[in-house]
Amino acid sequence: MTITPRQICFFLAGIAPVGKLILLPANLAATCGNDLLLPVLAHVLVQSVLVFCVLLLGRRERTLCTLLRDACGKTAARIAACLLAAFLLFAAFVPVIEQKLLVRSTFYDTIPAYLVFTPFFLFAAYICARPLPTLGRLWDILAPLALTGMAGIALFSAGSADLGALAPAGAAGAGGFLKGVQTACAWFFDAALLLCLIGRFPYRKGLALGGALCSLAGGGVLLLLLALFYGVFPGIAVIQTPAFSRMSGFFAGMTVLGRIDYFFIFAVAFAMTFHAALPVQCAVGLLTEAFGNKKYLAPALSVLFSALMLSAVYLVHFHTSAAVRTVTETLFWIFPLFTVLVPLLALLVFGRRHETLS
Amino acid sequence: METKEITGRAQEDAAALKALLPAQDILTFSFADGKGREYVCIFADALTDKDLLSEQALRPLSCYAGAADADAVARAALSPEVRAEASYEKLAAEVLAGNPVLVWEGADKGLALGTKKIAVRAVAEPPTDVAIKGPREGFVEDIKTNTSLIRRRLKTGELMIEMLPVGRRSQTNVALCWLDGTCRADIVDALRKKLSAIDIDALPDASYLTRFLTDKPYSLVKQTGTTEKPDIFCAKLAEGRAGILTDGSPIALTLPYLLAEDFQSGEDYFVPAARATFTRLLRLFALLVAVYLPAFYVAAQLFKLRLLPVKLLLTIAGSIRDIPLSPSLEMLLVLLVLEVLNEASIRMPKYVGMALSVVGALVLGETAVSAGFVSTPAIIIVAFSGIGLYAVPNLIEETSVLRLFMLLAAGSVGPYGIMLVSAFVLVSLVTTENYGVPLCAPFAPFSARDMKDALVKFNLLSLKERPRALNSPNKRRMK
Repeated sequence: MTITPRQICFFLAGIAPVGKLILLPANLAATCGNDLLLPVLAHVLVQSVLVFCVLLLGRRERTLCTLLRDACGKTAARIAACLLAAFLLFAAFVPVIEQKLLVRSTFYDTIPAYLVFTPFFLFAAYICARPLPTLGRLWDILAPLALTGMAGIALFSAGSADLGALAPAGAAGAGGFLKGVQTACAWFFDAALLLCLIGRFPYRKGLALGGALCSLAGGGVLLLLLALFYGVFPGIAVIQTPAFSRMSGFFAGMTVLGRIDYFFIFAVAFAMTFHAALPVQCAVGLLTEAFGNKKYLAPALSVLFSALMLSAVYLVHFHTSAAVRTVTETLFWIFPLFTVLVPLLALLVFGRRHETLS
Repeated sequence: METKEITGRAQEDAAALKALLPAQDILTFSFADGKGREYVCIFADALTDKDLLSEQALRPLSCYAGAADADAVARAALSPEVRAEASYEKLAAEVLAGNPVLVWEGADKGLALGTKKIAVRAVAEPPTDVAIKGPREGFVEDIKTNTSLIRRRLKTGELMIEMLPVGRRSQTNVALCWLDGTCRADIVDALRKKLSAIDIDALPDASYLTRFLTDKPYSLVKQTGTTEKPDIFCAKLAEGRAGILTDGSPIALTLPYLLAEDFQSGEDYFVPAARATFTRLLRLFALLVAVYLPAFYVAAQLFKLRLLPVKLLLTIAGSIRDIPLSPSLEMLLVLLVLEVLNEASIRMPKYVGMALSVVGALVLGETAVSAGFVSTPAIIIVAFSGIGLYAVPNLIEETSVLRLFMLLAAGSVGPYGIMLVSAFVLVSLVTTENYGVPLCAPFAPFSARDMKDALVKFNLLSLKERPRALNSPNKRRMK
């Protein structure tokens, strides 16, 4: 079982945007108002360049651990893998919190008991124990599903969106823009995820460019949904979380048909469930490889990390907003460190062409 | 262990064989040939065609006066199917298979004559796979008849049929069939190895084999294709699959199996492509409704009323107002009643079954509603779900279990539970492979070329190549 270049493109175009549709829109609306598209555009452009770099690194057709082991030795490779895994666990915090918010606000009319969200960690433990190439096949199913869902949501919300609310551009000023960029850092770490997957897919000519274009396409979908979101809730966007499940609820036909937009919302939420577990899965995959692919390591790590996430989520249960703010505002610098610096550094060190190139 | 062999003394050899086969229906009788040599015939009473035996062996041999070696006697016997064996054990096995065995004075080997007579059901349309258009022949319990049905459709030397005995005591003949050069050799080797390694007392049916032929025998996911129709079986062989026929079973197995196969029917290839596509999508829709509708109904009632349109919500609210049971318990109860009725109606004689339907539909359904035990929407939903399940009959075992899981998840966790169970199922499906072929191909991994005959059916003229997922060494099937 291997990941194919097409599946990488599916991930970038269809799966990567779904992870940014719960808290990010409202948070951006709070920091830069109607200019919420600009920071996202900046991140999308940077991520596309980073995706290009990481995929270029994929030309070596060796995993990150192998590259590190060959260059710096086993111990250094293990230390680097542990650091990257720690970052991925840290990065998983916001998606898991978002998953919890999504469950509580979208799947139930009344606030459900704490325990309702707990089965997610069973699922996370189950999927994280699977080898990373499983992801490719999941993306083959999930990407079209997520794109259909997002298209449906966009279609239903287009009629009630006042896109004029986005004007005038630049009203938030440079300060607002920078604050928006800082806030959005916690949601843009696709390049770091991709770094864990290099060497698990065959490199084909043009993949780096194709991947970057798919990343741009995914960013385009995200920008469209953000624009529609702000257009639907121009004045009250700040309190609309999870954004994507609320914006399509004003479609005129729903009084007769019921909330048929839930089909699309559930499709996106389904993809989100997998996306929320993705950083932990990548961390497990990375550590399993770094420590010799031992048989029981992956299940043990996936159970351990899932339990860790469960504890973290319930530990901050009454302080969720503060915890998210800490990650997105105080500790935001950790994200560019691992998402921007590490891939660039890796490309610099390992990116030279080699005799084993395909 | 020393293998005992024919001694050339007729009575002694017959006694040795009878000692191996002491049952009363194993008969012996003696006669002499033209030279006065004594012959003893040992046969299983109900399995032997005595007229044929007499015509092909006894009559010619009674006038025979040639040499006593097995080859010469075999030529004199006039039977087209004669096997010479020296080992008592092998000769005893032939008797048990229905082939009479001859031993005689001076013999170097015994002869097994192919004059077995087995009561065989006539070839008829299988009840599980009825076609309005297309061939109506179905497999029967006799493996010879079944191989003849295949051979008649695939008149090529590439069609390989390899017989393997399975079952320590039953010694059931299992035929491994494939098209040489079309089916991957590693699949055939793996199947041969797995079939030879089966160590079981008896093999009553082909379904026993399925657990031995898969990599995940405890999985709930179906991993072997099944069919009762030779035309479908041959089409699958021609696509690059291997097939398995089991003596005593009308069910043929095909491997590797793709999940998409069960959404196809033989008839799809005899109707216009647009119609076939429509019916395939309809089957998928019916299956999804069957699995998800009861669960979503319960989840909507318990946790997410906004899933329902207001008018429908008011109607349902009116119907469930006086129901004493919780929505999940009510749905579970009605589903269980449906499963019991279903199970009973399949096992019962036809006429009692009709009465049972009346009891089920009228007495249980109508009365339970009027008594206020269950609501009308619950009955409607379960009825629709029950019908939907039968739109894809080959997956009933899996989907009915899945429906219960979904219902339990919906009743306990709500819509999120349904989503998580679906996620578990999806991961399980996409990670299942048999013989290197992904179960969910051509959806995961996606293959645009194979999509021409998955849920959407393209015109026959577009299907020039065999499914890529099967990785057949012979890629093209049409020029």
